[in-house]
Amino acid sequence: MNEQAVYLSETIDAIVAGAGSLVPELLLAVFFLLLVTLDLFKSPTIKRLLPWLALTGLFASLLLQILGGYTAGDELFLNLLLSDGLARYAGILFSAAGIFTILLSLQNRPLEHLQQGKGEYYALILMLVLGLNLMGKSVNLLMVFLAIETVSIASYILTLTLKHEKRAVEAGLKYILYGALSAGVMLYGMSFFYGLTGTLNYSSEVFRIGLLQANTLLVTVAAVLVFAGFFFKISAAPFHFWVPDVYQGAPLPVVALFSTGPKMAGIIVILRFVRPFENPLAYADVQLFLGIAAIATLVIGNFTALWQDTPRRLLAYSSVSHAGFLLTGLLAFNTDYTLSVLFYLTVLLFMNFGIFLFLQLSEDIFKVQKLEDFAGLGRAHPFIGIMALLYLLSLTGLPPLAGFMGKLLIFSNVWEAYTLGENTLLLTLLIVGILLTGVALFYYIKIPYYLFFKRNFREENLVTSLSDKLLLALFALPLLVLFFKPDLLLNWMEQLLAQTL
Amino acid sequence: MNFILSSLIFTPLLAALVVLVMPAHLHRPIKAVALLGTLVQMGLAVFSYVNFDGGAFANGQQGYQFVEKLNWIGFSLGNLGLFQIEYFVGVDGISISMVLLTGIIGVIGIISSWTITRNVKGYFLLYLLLLTSVMGCFLALDFFLFYLFFEFMLLPMYFLIGIWGGPRREYAAIKFFIYTLVGSLFILIVMIGLYTSVIDPVATARQLGLLERDMAASPDVIRQVQQMLQQGAISTQGMVHTFSIPAMMEAANFLPDSLLHVVSRVTLWDLPIRFVAFLLLLAGFAIKVPVVPVHTWLPDAHVEAPTPISVLLAAILLKVGGYGLIRIVYPVFPDAAAYFSVLVGSLGVLSIIYGALNALAMNDLKKLIAYSSVSHMGFVLLGLASLTTEGVNGAVYMMFSHGIISAMLFLVVGVIYDRAHDRMIQNFRGLANVMPAYTTFVVIAFFASLGLPGFSGFIAELLVLVGGFSAPEATGMLPRWLTIVAVFGLLLAAAYYLWALQRMFFGKFWVYPELRESAVITDLNFREYLMLVPLTLLALLFGIFPHLLLDKIGVAVNGFSELVLQNGQEQLNIVLSSMVR
Repeated sequence: MNEQAVYLSETIDAIVAGAGSLVPELLLAVFFLLLVTLDLFKSPTIKRLLPWLALTGLFASLLLQILGGYTAGDELFLNLLLSDGLARYAGILFSAAGIFTILLSLQNRPLEHLQQGKGEYYALILMLVLGLNLMGKSVNLLMVFLAIETVSIASYILTLTLKHEKRAVEAGLKYILYGALSAGVMLYGMSFFYGLTGTLNYSSEVFRIGLLQANTLLVTVAAVLVFAGFFFKISAAPFHFWVPDVYQGAPLPVVALFSTGPKMAGIIVILRFVRPFENPLAYADVQLFLGIAAIATLVIGNFTALWQDTPRRLLAYSSVSHAGFLLTGLLAFNTDYTLSVLFYLTVLLFMNFGIFLFLQLSEDIFKVQKLEDFAGLGRAHPFIGIMALLYLLSLTGLPPLAGFMGKLLIFSNVWEAYTLGENTLLLTLLIVGILLTGVALFYYIKIPYYLFFKRNFREENLVTSLSDKLLLALFALPLLVLFFKPDLLLNWMEQLLAQTL
Repeated sequence: MNFILSSLIFTPLLAALVVLVMPAHLHRPIKAVALLGTLVQMGLAVFSYVNFDGGAFANGQQGYQFVEKLNWIGFSLGNLGLFQIEYFVGVDGISISMVLLTGIIGVIGIISSWTITRNVKGYFLLYLLLLTSVMGCFLALDFFLFYLFFEFMLLPMYFLIGIWGGPRREYAAIKFFIYTLVGSLFILIVMIGLYTSVIDPVATARQLGLLERDMAASPDVIRQVQQMLQQGAISTQGMVHTFSIPAMMEAANFLPDSLLHVVSRVTLWDLPIRFVAFLLLLAGFAIKVPVVPVHTWLPDAHVEAPTPISVLLAAILLKVGGYGLIRIVYPVFPDAAAYFSVLVGSLGVLSIIYGALNALAMNDLKKLIAYSSVSHMGFVLLGLASLTTEGVNGAVYMMFSHGIISAMLFLVVGVIYDRAHDRMIQNFRGLANVMPAYTTFVVIAFFASLGLPGFSGFIAELLVLVGGFSAPEATGMLPRWLTIVAVFGLLLAAAYYLWALQRMFFGKFWVYPELRESAVITDLNFREYLMLVPLTLLALLFGIFPHLLLDKIGVAVNGFSELVLQNGQEQLNIVLSSMVR
């Protein structure tokens, strides 16, 4: 009995001591509870306040993480969570994603007409961001699993926000089925790792040594299983099948969130998880698997996008292809790829929210369902057209937009890694990645093609609100700034990573 | 004086910004602003051309004038060390000719665009953006900056063809975009490889503390840094990677363990990786030139583009491809340039012959001229491949002269198309009877293009052929039969031009019946004289007084061919011997 009491008090002491590092998460949790509670009241005034409350919570967490100063050092929290500079930067991205989602939701027509469940919608976004933050901080297999499941459960419900639509139900069901499957597979793989190394903390030395001593084949199998779960989150092949359906069924703000938040968090998780596997000799098979997955993701994403005739599905496959680029970046082992990947994630955040806002405008105001429906929109509304063009060019990766910078940095790392190891896989990735940009242009350009080249036969005088236009410009501006002065962000990130790592 | 090159680049951009804020219905003021912008740019181009010191030594690596160098982007990337991207512009004899050309053609294009009525604001906005990026390409000495302008050219062009073009404009625009983008992706791969491999010795010296921040670098310091680099004595933290093109030209600036270093033993498809890099760059720029067999976008783009855009495309955009070969590909990979000279020469000759044969078969006058462009740009490749002073001079001269003459050619096609909305050769006969002045200019343009002595085209072709013939002895580059085959290209050019002339302009006046209703066949108006007369004078001027251009480009070209030849043979021996080991 006494021993247990000592253990308990030690644990409590650790929790109290480490709580400082979890202030952003606690903040989000408090706001989540607040939202859920207030949602119980029927008063319309309170209901109207809920999104702004959620926004406040996210802003607070964003500012907190930008300013820093709350961390209790870089010690592990209960051997589960690590609040280092990487987690802090990731947290900033997640909060920003949450804020953007709510801003988009406030402009979204279908959500406006939603009769019930608005409060829970905003609460769930907070929940999801909380889960993302935990993903960004986890260094423990069990914690990763819990964090991923938190995100997944919130995602399942968010997908089903528009319950009356058949598409949404289909999407939700598919999402849950794939999610459950990949979660199970991942858990199975994790149990392997625990058995092989005797620890769940994959950042520890024990884990590394345990891996080196274990049977290579088993390690490879376990890694493949665990990566299945991660791939599901970042929508990499072959776990991307849910993507087009969910992108079609979910409300657009949620789609924008899915295309950035969980993807960013999944990449951070992989970033931490692959560190023990950097040795090219011991883990050639794991690296080969990752390389093949990256190539497959790039190829499938880019080529399938070619055949799509609805903008949502097109962007879904584009999102798959971006997962491929990010995976490529993670494979540049033994180079300093963290910065490049984080930079790419930042750019992805702005361009995805930009393009989905554009899509939301087109769907709500101009009733665009298929690519052909864009015809003439850019001519009638040059500002919207030009903004869309900027996002699409950035997604393609053309200068002078930040998407180009992101790709340039990632490919530089891959080249450097190839120089170091002369691993043909990396060269293949480099060449495939760069050449697929040409394919990417082919489908992205379809949208400006309809926007500007085709005539619009509808005689409608539709107006877009000023806030929409401002938001469009808000997402586009960083894309230009980050192309012309990427060092502003890169130097800051470097400081951030150096401080607390 | 210090900002003249920046003003050259950004004057059209400034004009574009003015156009952007103007109300869209003010057609004439918008055109006036665009004209003013291009006139100022031309003035600056002429001013810098006149003030350019053609006698000063230059070889591509050194000797740039009006240089502007500013730090633009700098960050450290872990193991790779520091990165530096500079706003680095300058001119030597080779680029100054292109600057002058761009200035002149910019104004001609605006005059030709005066008849645009649809979406005037958008058109001139894009036109001015296009001019900015082309000028930037010719002036950039930082690879990143060059690439930025190179890529940015695509977009305005895509819209200019796709919105204001002919019936199949959308197809042509996308084809143009995809082809050129794929080309620039090849270039991107090599660019990444190069800047991870190359350091800037001056900035590295500063980083290492060998040099005070503001002091100019002496050659000794640079040599010291390069020696340290080759011995592996510089830690990665001390290295400053650079995109500077002149820095890439020196083998001593390459990291000793980098893949693109001359002693790198890495092979790809049984070729040294430097050779592969050369081929990728060659492919990238060849698409832009364009060289057979990657030329197929050009006839489509030309046929569908509106007249002024065809003019711009043929006169200056194509030159960016040839210019890239001279500025970047040859001096950075001289070993591969020497090794592949027969390949490059053959591609040139293939373009000359294949382009001419196609031109012979065309019924569409504009397509005929597009293919004649392919044929003439082949001479640029041939001259370059010879690596003789005459040959390279000829290549640069050809780029300039083709710029002037092809502009004329596309303008005269535009004249008949404006009147008849048709340009099929078989639909017209005896136009000389009703359009005597027009016919005169057509004859001038055709003869200038086929290389009649007295016109600039003659000088260019002469120089290239002399260079080609002397190459086997002087540089050991090209077999003589290649040049002999190329001469047949001249014969074919005479054939397709004279035949077209005979079919369309001579004999009794006749127009295809269906065209008679809509066609108003009148002779040239004032605006058309305004474009054709200056171009004719220029073609004559540079044909009769070639030294006007050769004096400016000569020294730089001599330096260039010596540098490429010397470095090429030295490095080729190293590359090949490290392969054998």
